[in-house]
Amino acid sequence: MSFRTFFLSLSASFGVAWLAIIIVPYFKMRSLEPIVMEEGEGTNAVYIPKRAGRIADGAEVYGENGCYLCHTQLVRPTYAGNDLFRPDWGGLKAIDDRPDTRRETNVYDFEGEQFAQIGVSRMGPDLSNLGVRVEELYAKDISPEDWLYRHLYNPRFKPEDRDSKCPSFRFMFDESEIKGNPSDDALEFAGKNGGEITPKPEAKALVSYLLSLKKDQAVPSSLNFAPSSGEEEAAPPAPADEPSPAGA
Amino acid sequence: MSSATQKSSSQDALLRSGIDRSLRHPVMFFMTSGAAWLAVSLILGVISSAKAHSPEFLDGCGWLTYGRVQAAHTSALIYGWGFQAAFGMIIWMMSRLSRQECRASGIILTAGHVWNVIISLGTLGILAGYGTGMPWMEFPSFTWPVITITYAVIMVWSLVQFKVRPEGHVYISQWYLLAAMIWFPWVFITTNLLLHVFPGNPVMAAGINAWYKSSLIFLFFVPIGLGMAFYLIPKVTGRAVHSYSLAKLGFWSLAIIMPWAGMQKLTGAPIPYFIPYLGAAATVLFFIPAFTAAVNLLRTAMASGDIVNNSPALRFTTAGIVGLIVMAVAAVFLNLPGSTLKLSQFSLSGYGFEMLSLYGFFSFVAFGAIYFIVPRITGREWLSRRLIKMHFFISIYGIMLIAVVAIFGGLQQGVGQEMFDQPWATASTRAYPYAICITFSWCTILISNIFFFMHLMVMWLRLGRRSNHPTLLVSAHGHSPHGEEGDIDNAGPGTAAAH
Ligand code: HEC
Repeated sequence: MSFRTFFLSLSASFGVAWLAIIIVPYFKMRSLEPIVMEEGEGTNAVYIPKRAGRIADGAEVYGENGCYLCHTQLVRPTYAGNDLFRPDWGGLKAIDDRPDTRRETNVYDFEGEQFAQIGVSRMGPDLSNLGVRVEELYAKDISPEDWLYRHLYNPRFKPEDRDSKCPSFRFMFDESEIKGNPSDDALEFAGKNGGEITPKPEAKALVSYLLSLKKDQAVPSSLNFAPSSGEEEAAPPAPADEPSPAGA
Repeated sequence: MSSATQKSSSQDALLRSGIDRSLRHPVMFFMTSGAAWLAVSLILGVISSAKAHSPEFLDGCGWLTYGRVQAAHTSALIYGWGFQAAFGMIIWMMSRLSRQECRASGIILTAGHVWNVIISLGTLGILAGYGTGMPWMEFPSFTWPVITITYAVIMVWSLVQFKVRPEGHVYISQWYLLAAMIWFPWVFITTNLLLHVFPGNPVMAAGINAWYKSSLIFLFFVPIGLGMAFYLIPKVTGRAVHSYSLAKLGFWSLAIIMPWAGMQKLTGAPIPYFIPYLGAAATVLFFIPAFTAAVNLLRTAMASGDIVNNSPALRFTTAGIVGLIVMAVAAVFLNLPGSTLKLSQFSLSGYGFEMLSLYGFFSFVAFGAIYFIVPRITGREWLSRRLIKMHFFISIYGIMLIAVVAIFGGLQQGVGQEMFDQPWATASTRAYPYAICITFSWCTILISNIFFFMHLMVMWLRLGRRSNHPTLLVSAHGHSPHGEEGDIDNAGPGTAAAH
C-alpha cells in the first residue's frame, strides 16, 4: 500500500466520523430553532428560557476550581438513569399544593454559558437544580446566598454534614479582625480565627451562578417529558417516549 | 554465516549505532523530562486523591484545592509524561524503521524545551486558578496554539524521514505511528478551534470535549503503544510477527471504529440521540482492535517465554499488552447502554478506565521502550536488575488496584447513585473505600517509580555500566535475548533483513 492510499484511507475512515458526530452536529446546533409555545403555556409565542445572575463569571469560577470533577449538571432521562426520580434533582417533587416540577435537562438550561459543565463524576450530588433546593429547602433562617457562602466556607458546618467530602473554599473569602462596625457584606458567621468574613468577588460570582441553576420555569410540553406536568400523582415520571429534541 | 551477510549485518549495526547516536540528545531529553513529569503527576495524584476522601488534608489554600490539583495531575500525566514518552519513542522508532540518522536533533531538542516550558506554564496556570474548566484541556487557552506548533516541529522530521526512506515495505509499527501522528493534530486542532474560537452550543461543546478525551486515548496513546510493542517484541525475541494479516486487521479496525467513541459520556444529555449510542457502541467494539493486536503480540512473545522473563524491555511490554486486554474488557463491561453505562457514566469508573489506559497499557509499554532504548543511545547498560524488578512488581500491584477500582468500585458507586430513594450519602459511602484504594495505589506507583527515576538519572549522567552485556532480570547464562554476546542489537523486527 502506498503512502498515498494509506493516507487517503486513513482520512476517509476518520473523516466520516469527524463529520458525522462533530462538525455537522456542532454547526447545526449553533443556532437552535425557537420552540413554539402551545396554547395555555404562557404568554410568549416562543419559549424564552429565563436565567438571571452572573452566569458567565460564575461559570468561569466553577470551571477554574474544578467543581465539575465532583458535581454534574445533567438530569438524565429515565432510559439513562434514575436521576429524575430523586425528589429534588430535576425540579421538586409535588409537595402540598405545588405540582411536580421535575423534568430532565434540556439545551436551554445552559443559556449564557459557553461550555456545559456536564461534569466528570458524581462524588457530590447533581447541581442542576441547586438554586431551587437552596431557596426552597435548605435556607430556612438564612438567605440563600448566605447558605451557599457558608457551605463554600465550610461544607462541614452542620453536624449532619460532618462527613461531607466537599472541599472548603475558604480561599475565596477574606477574614479580618472586627474593628468597630462590621462591614456591609460581612457574613453572619465568624471565621476560623473569630474574625469577620467577607466573600471575595469570585465567591460572589460563583454563588450568583449557583443560584441560577434552577429547574422551576415551566417549559413547553415538547420539552417536558414528565407526566402531564405533575398534578396529583407523586409517582415518578414515566419514561421518556421521545428522544431529546435538540438537533432534531 | 556467509561472509556477504556478515558484511551487510555489520554495516547494519553501524547504521543503527549511527542512528542511535544522532538521536541521543533529543530522545534522552524526552525520556528524562517525561519521567520527571511523571513524578510531578504522581505526587499531585496522591495529593488530590487523598483530598477526595479526606477533604481537610492540605485544606484552605487555593493552589491546592482538589479541583485544581486533580486537573493538574491528569494534565501533567498526559502532556508532561505521556506525550514526551511518545515523542521519544516515535522519533527513535521512525528513524530506525526508515533507516536514517536524524538530521534535526538540535531543532527537536529545542522544541522539546519549548514543550516543557509551555506544559509548566499550563500546569502552573491550572494551579493558580486559570484553568479552562474543560476536562483534559484545562491548560489556559493561550497554550494550545503553542502546543500545536511545537508538536508539529517535533514530529515533522519523522514524517520527512518516512517520505525519503529507502524503498521497501512499510512495517506495521510505522502504520500505527503515522496514523497517530496525523490523528492527534486533527483532533487537537478541531477541538480547540471549536471550543475556543467558534463558540457554539454549550452542550455540544461538552460532547466534543468528551470525544477529545476518548480520541486522545484511542487514537494517540493506544496506537503509539501498539506501534512500540510491534517493534520491540519481534525485535527482542528475534521472531517474525505471528500473523501479519491479523496485524493489518487490528490496525484498520482501530482506524474505523475508534473515531466514533467518546460521547457516551453524554448519554441522556440534550444532543442528538444517536451520538451517545454510537460512542458506546464504538467503545465496546474496542475489543476488536485490542484483542487482535494483543493476541498477535502475545503469541509472538510467548513463543520465547524465557526471553520475556529475562528482558526488562519485554517484561514491561508484555505486561502492557495484558493491560490492554484488561482495558478492552473494561471498555466492554462499563459501556453497555441500558445496563452498566448509567452506572459508570459518573462514577470512579471513568477515571479508573483512563488511568488503566494511560498507565496500565501505555506507560508500561513506554517503560519497556525506555529500558530498551536508553542503553542503545547512551552506550551504557542499566546498573541494577533489582531496581528494574522493584519498578516492575510494585507498579503491577498499583495498577491492579486501579483496575479493581475502575471495574468494581465504579459499578458499586454507580449502583448507589441509582438508588433514588436513598439519601445521596449512600453513594458517597459506597465509593469511600475505593477512593482510599486509589490513594493507596498512587502511593504504590509513586514508590515504584522512585526506583525508575533513580535508575534513569544514573543513566542520564552516563554512569551506567560500560559493558556490551545487557542487563537481564535473571542472571544471564547461555542465550542472550539481545542477540549474541557482545551484540546488544540483532536484526530488525521479525525478519533478519528488514529495518
Ligand atoms: C472532592 C469532590 C468535590 C469537589 C471538587 C466539589 N464538591 Fe461540592 N460536594 C461534594 C460532596 C461529596 C457533596 C455532598 C456532601 C455535602 O452536601 O456537603 C458536595 C455538596 C455540595 C453542595 C451541596 C449540594 C446539596 O444539594 O446538598 C454544593 C452547593 C456544592 N457541593 C458546591 C460545590 C462547588 C461550588 C464546588 C466548586 C467550587 C464544589 N462543590 C466542589 C464534593 C465536591
